[in-house]
Amino acid sequence: MLAAEPHTAPEELISRLDSAVSEVFETMLERSCAPVTSQHAAGEHITAQIQFSGAIEGLCVVYATPQVAQLTAEALLGPVSDTRDPMVDDAIGELCNMIAGGWKSKLDTSAAVCLISVPTITRADSARFKDALHTTTTFNRSYSFQGNVFGIVLGL
Amino acid sequence: MRALIIDDSAVMRKVIERALRQAGLDLSEVLQASNGEEALQALRNESSASSPLSLIVSDINMPVMDGLQFLEARRSENLAPGVPAIMITTEGSEPFVLRAIAAGAQGYICKPFTADQVKARVLPLLAAA
Repeated sequence: MLAAEPHTAPEELISRLDSAVSEVFETMLERSCAPVTSQHAAGEHITAQIQFSGAIEGLCVVYATPQVAQLTAEALLGPVSDTRDPMVDDAIGELCNMIAGGWKSKLDTSAAVCLISVPTITRADSARFKDALHTTTTFNRSYSFQGNVFGIVLGL
Repeated sequence: MRALIIDDSAVMRKVIERALRQAGLDLSEVLQASNGEEALQALRNESSASSPLSLIVSDINMPVMDGLQFLEARRSENLAPGVPAIMITTEGSEPFVLRAIAAGAQGYICKPFTADQVKARVLPLLAAA
């Protein structure tokens, strides 16, 4: 729940998320990244989840196929051996960390005073983690960089 | 020059090391720690090092011991006194910045960051040290 900004329109929360994503990709990955309307592939996904606590209660989940996650890791680091490399999971976790932190920083001062957890990273079928979200309001967003799509869920 | 990089993300430790090298630092050795407790142990082992540590770069949000707790414990144990510490973290809100400075951090960079931002923050610290 977004206690500190009860009157913030959902569109504004999404706009801030788009801005945070764009900033992370352009700054750290040197790639452009934009929202897309997309159906995500079935099958295994790497998910990274961060919890907000304090003025904001909720979570941010970033999820991607192992192939897209590997491309993300390579954009950060250079060549990565394969999709099972631990750096691939780590990269999604760090992406979630920076996006969640960036989104939080764009809220007003009182709402920005909240804690974010270290990311929890798992590999699971994409449908399973969505079923596990028990939040009041959930925003699902898809993004694409160089044709590679990943998803973000904000649960507040 | 030797540096200690503290971050629970191995990816971020590599990214930071690359940014430091791009900033022109001639790093002969980079110590790595995934949390504040590992970093404290690395500093306790410094007495046997062949050359002194020149820089500490630390995240804030980490398991076991976070970056702020690390700074406070480092000061309490008087470990690596005089070695500049800079925080690189997603926690950019004022309470965190103030607490980091109070605990002895000399610089603060918010993620995401560019190599140029690292260079702009780190080089003056090293010149002043």
